[in-house]
Amino acid sequence: MRRMLLERNADDAVFGHFGAAAGYALAGRRAMHTFRTGPETWKHIAVGQRKWANLNPVATMYDRPMTFEDYYNARWIVEPFRLFDTCLMTDGGRAMIITSAERARDLRHPPVLIMGMGQNNPSYDVHQATHLAGPTGAKKAGEMALRMAGITLDDINACEIYDCFTYTVEITLQDYGFFGPGEGEDWLQNGTIEPGGRMPVNTSGGQLSEGYYMGLTPLSEAAMQLMGRCGERQLGPTTNTKSPEIILCSDNGGILQTHSCIVLRRS
Amino acid sequence: MGEYNKPLPNINGDSKEFWAGCKGHELRFQKCKACGHVRWPASLICPICYSKETQWIVAGGKGKIYTFVVYHVAYHPGFENDLPYVVADVELEEGPRLLTNIVGCRPDEVKCEMLVEVTWEDITEEFSLPKFRPSW
Repeated sequence: MRRMLLERNADDAVFGHFGAAAGYALAGRRAMHTFRTGPETWKHIAVGQRKWANLNPVATMYDRPMTFEDYYNARWIVEPFRLFDTCLMTDGGRAMIITSAERARDLRHPPVLIMGMGQNNPSYDVHQATHLAGPTGAKKAGEMALRMAGITLDDINACEIYDCFTYTVEITLQDYGFFGPGEGEDWLQNGTIEPGGRMPVNTSGGQLSEGYYMGLTPLSEAAMQLMGRCGERQLGPTTNTKSPEIILCSDNGGILQTHSCIVLRRS
Repeated sequence: MGEYNKPLPNINGDSKEFWAGCKGHELRFQKCKACGHVRWPASLICPICYSKETQWIVAGGKGKIYTFVVYHVAYHPGFENDLPYVVADVELEEGPRLLTNIVGCRPDEVKCEMLVEVTWEDITEEFSLPKFRPSW
């Protein structure tokens, strides 16, 4: 493991720089310099997603409620990220079956349809990158996916966002256009993304509180929600939220170097 | 020199000149002869105009902090005694940004856009590391 870290990070390790948490923390710190953000904003994401995990029996953090105080009391990992800004490490897997709409019609579960997809990859190494505080690849990828789907953000009922770190969720939603730079803290106030909120986000608890299955944490949850298979955390009357017709999903890789966006719809 | 227990630079054909410069306390970067872009990391072709014509220049060692983090966990035992320590991305006056450490001040004194200058740490017979300290 250590050898892999050293080889992958080349001379970063010479200066004690390792792994993804610190890379995203560099991005988060630059964002704190560029617009109004930081732990005050990120706590809403960590705590909001935890509330969803508390409704999800397979979530790692199912029986571990979290308050804002718990968030602030957690230890620093790589400042400005505390423990609960960072995703879980999970052994496990997720799978999805992709087939034609025609074949899916005869299957036991109602199929979920792909409405639109977009991808954008700024690619620059974190050391020379100028997109760390946005716009990231999410901006163009999101526009592309919405255009292909023929919808606007107003048509979205919920989001399943790749959440390796809390900041990733903020910058992705910001670049998709849900709020302007620095408006995240206000937008997130009063449980916007939580059960009962007007824009549920990461309804399984996400990678921060359910489990880390790379892009399949958000994607599989979106499909399950649209199929109506989510039990206590099911969007709709069960959680006092809108019954989902359309869910927006994201995935990203590297240190905000690659981004893909998928719009899914109930059939 | 005592035993140095942190990772050492990986020398390759591109970075050899940079680390040779560091040994003599010089920050050397490639400057594209075609478009003038000063680049890092070292590479065969210019990432802006794709020219292979290049010359090495010596940077003045002054810059500002683009962004930084404070490590509170040691991911390698060599850094355990340094905690908490600062890793920063420093933008040099010549243009390139260099991943490095900020030394000579407390972590809570470090800020984005803070002016910094190079300070050398001779770690082995072979290597010196360019670190940066506040220019105050």
